[in-house]
Amino acid sequence: MNRARIFLTGVGGQGTLTATTLLARTALAAGLPVTAGEIHGMAQRGGVVESTILIGGYKSPVISKGEADVLLGFELLETLRALPMLKRGGVVVGNSESVQPVGVCLGRECYPPLDAVLETARGFAARVVMVPCISLAEQAGTAKAANMVLIAAAAACGALPFGVDALIRSVEKYLKPKIVPLNLKALELGAAAAATGQAA
Amino acid sequence: MGKELLTAAAGETLLLLGNEAIARGALEGGVRFVTCYPGTPSSEVPDTFFRLSKDGPYYFEYSVNEKVALEVAGGATLAGLPALVTMKHVGVNVAADPLMTLAYVTAPGGLILLSADDPGCHSSQNEQDNRIYARLGGLPCFEPATAQECKDMARDALLLSRSLEAPVLLRTTTRVNHVRGPVTFGALPDTPAAKLFAKNPAKYVPLPASARPMHVRLLERLEKAREAAETSPYNTERGTGEVGFIASGAARNYLADVLEEDGLEGTVRVLDLGMSYPLPENRIAEFLGKCRKVVIVEELEPVLENEIRALAQKRGISVEIIGKGPHLPRLGEYATVNVRAAVNATLGRETAAVETLSVPVDLPKRPPNLCAGCPHRAAYYAVREVFGDEAVYSSDIGCYTLGFLPPFRAADFLLCMGSSISAGAGFARASGKPVVAFIGDSTFFHSGITGLIDAVAYNHDILIVILDNRTTAMTGHQPNPGVDTTIFGENPNPVDLSALIRACGITPVKVNPLNHKATIAALTEFAGQSGPRVLIAEYPCPIHARRVGQAKKTPPARVTGDPAACLTVRDTLACPAFAMVEGVFTINAEQCDGCMYCVQLSADIKPGKKEAR
Repeated sequence: MNRARIFLTGVGGQGTLTATTLLARTALAAGLPVTAGEIHGMAQRGGVVESTILIGGYKSPVISKGEADVLLGFELLETLRALPMLKRGGVVVGNSESVQPVGVCLGRECYPPLDAVLETARGFAARVVMVPCISLAEQAGTAKAANMVLIAAAAACGALPFGVDALIRSVEKYLKPKIVPLNLKALELGAAAAATGQAA
Repeated sequence: MGKELLTAAAGETLLLLGNEAIARGALEGGVRFVTCYPGTPSSEVPDTFFRLSKDGPYYFEYSVNEKVALEVAGGATLAGLPALVTMKHVGVNVAADPLMTLAYVTAPGGLILLSADDPGCHSSQNEQDNRIYARLGGLPCFEPATAQECKDMARDALLLSRSLEAPVLLRTTTRVNHVRGPVTFGALPDTPAAKLFAKNPAKYVPLPASARPMHVRLLERLEKAREAAETSPYNTERGTGEVGFIASGAARNYLADVLEEDGLEGTVRVLDLGMSYPLPENRIAEFLGKCRKVVIVEELEPVLENEIRALAQKRGISVEIIGKGPHLPRLGEYATVNVRAAVNATLGRETAAVETLSVPVDLPKRPPNLCAGCPHRAAYYAVREVFGDEAVYSSDIGCYTLGFLPPFRAADFLLCMGSSISAGAGFARASGKPVVAFIGDSTFFHSGITGLIDAVAYNHDILIVILDNRTTAMTGHQPNPGVDTTIFGENPNPVDLSALIRACGITPVKVNPLNHKATIAALTEFAGQSGPRVLIAEYPCPIHARRVGQAKKTPPARVTGDPAACLTVRDTLACPAFAMVEGVFTINAEQCDGCMYCVQLSADIKPGKKEAR
């Protein structure tokens, strides 16, 4: 993988931007030219957060529709919403679990089922990997580590230009020492789940 | 990003946010004085300076508004210190009055004004193009496109400013402020000596008689800046052929990626303008002379396009100039997709259709929402209960703008930062309808207070609700003059909001908005009165309170009675902690902040047990 446009989408508060920075730093540490970008709107929690990582010498941090080689979806509905960003033959690695938007909580809107997302993506994407990130993160100690589960799954299934080892080194180097063990556990669970997720 | 910005040596490469890179660049340029009003997408520049302020060699303040920020820094540069002032694009409107004249009065110590523009309105009420301010005020203008350029241009803009003694505009856009890329550091200079101020009213006091020669000198400085632009390393040319592209700002990235990806690099001429004002006229004329056709690629207004057209006419250069059009619109952000279409149209190439997946159009939306436990939600709920659809709601800029969304629908109009009181007063005077104005604490200090003074002076009939959450929450919890605590601990000089309002001639009523009964009682009493009235709904932003370690840990609420009986509360309060699980109403314990407001509205919801958390 020489050049890749990676599109990340999630919900405010999920740690999407933390994961983005960690991935960009990992790429840089691997000697890959990297540009990343983020749109976090009005710094509010609960809205959609989108970010990008472009590896291999791109200058623009923007990804247009149909341009993403990889889509990393930190939340199921947002993964579905962002599928138009994917290019034909791209890879989707997503969280199979949901964070309900307020309209769904209020019973005014219906949350799409996992099968609908898989059905839409399959045939267009080369590969779709879905992992229950929140449950696995809870197993690691806190739901907050769902972001680490996802990026580990992505690295483990070859969607990123570096492996899980590089992520482990980044977690050890860049996260506060106190939360390193928990996040390493999340990486381990995410990497292990990637194989199962392929079949999902 | 920690202290590396202050300590990293020349030659080190770090991954930086564009805004962090600007901070390092200003430090490399010798900045000693930083003022700002926070505003997305500029906020991380001052936030970085604030976080490092205990160890950094500069004075820092979150000024009360943008006008004040520029004036305070204007004084500092007159006293000889290199200064940086940061704000978002609409903030420059607030600072425009001193800005226009500061260019006359000069900036002996050097001064950069960072204007963070927002093409696409990611977090703003308009997408004005502040490159026009450079023309209006006579300010040299730099437009970085990458994190490395953010750093380098911040440094060089400050150095240029100091040598010309002219304020310089560093104009970014959201994509550039929030880009993240490798940045190779330069050296940090020794403390530059403050240039000594020698009293000289003819030079520094723009009375009409002195302002006229000041304007002459401003134009002379601009000519010197034009010479700098002619030789600026940020204005570069590459490629061959008779088709040319002139690009500025973030548009340079899109053009470069398209040429590279489509194998066109080198086959067309490109002139990148990083220092885009004053126009390097000779350089551009020379470029135009080599081309049969030139495309101007710039986001938003056709600023360069019009100037380059005029230049070609003035110099008698016969070249086709293509600018704004179907592929290069006058609004929104650009991307490779539309720049590619423009490149192909110019070269007579076909643009292959991009194949994309389509998804259902009616997916549930996920608008930004007031957080679980946000005291503003409670205040809106109570105001709705008392005033309903009868009152007209005048809104302002901040988290509480989200009161616009259903179920509250508590924003009927909004002009700009600080306008809720004054615009609401005008509406009340003109319509005779009851008006409730919502404004936050930071926004009140910013420019709401002048509206209050006007409302008192002219007895406008308006109820002002100050949603005082003890911080500037929307832009990332920056301190404001009224806060009790910052990340560095207690605020030694808080401005007393109640006393300030009393001094204006109104005795405000203060409530805790999370106390439903007390808030309703205060609002009901206000509803029966006329003239200017102020309710202060004071309760700390829960996220900020947690961050500064002042949050009380309360267990989440839970449904103990009939879930079906809670649906009214669900629909009228719309807290993000509410959830429907298999059709049954419940409260998500992970999401619930334990504010206990819903407990006051329903007998079927009770506080959780302490040990539940």
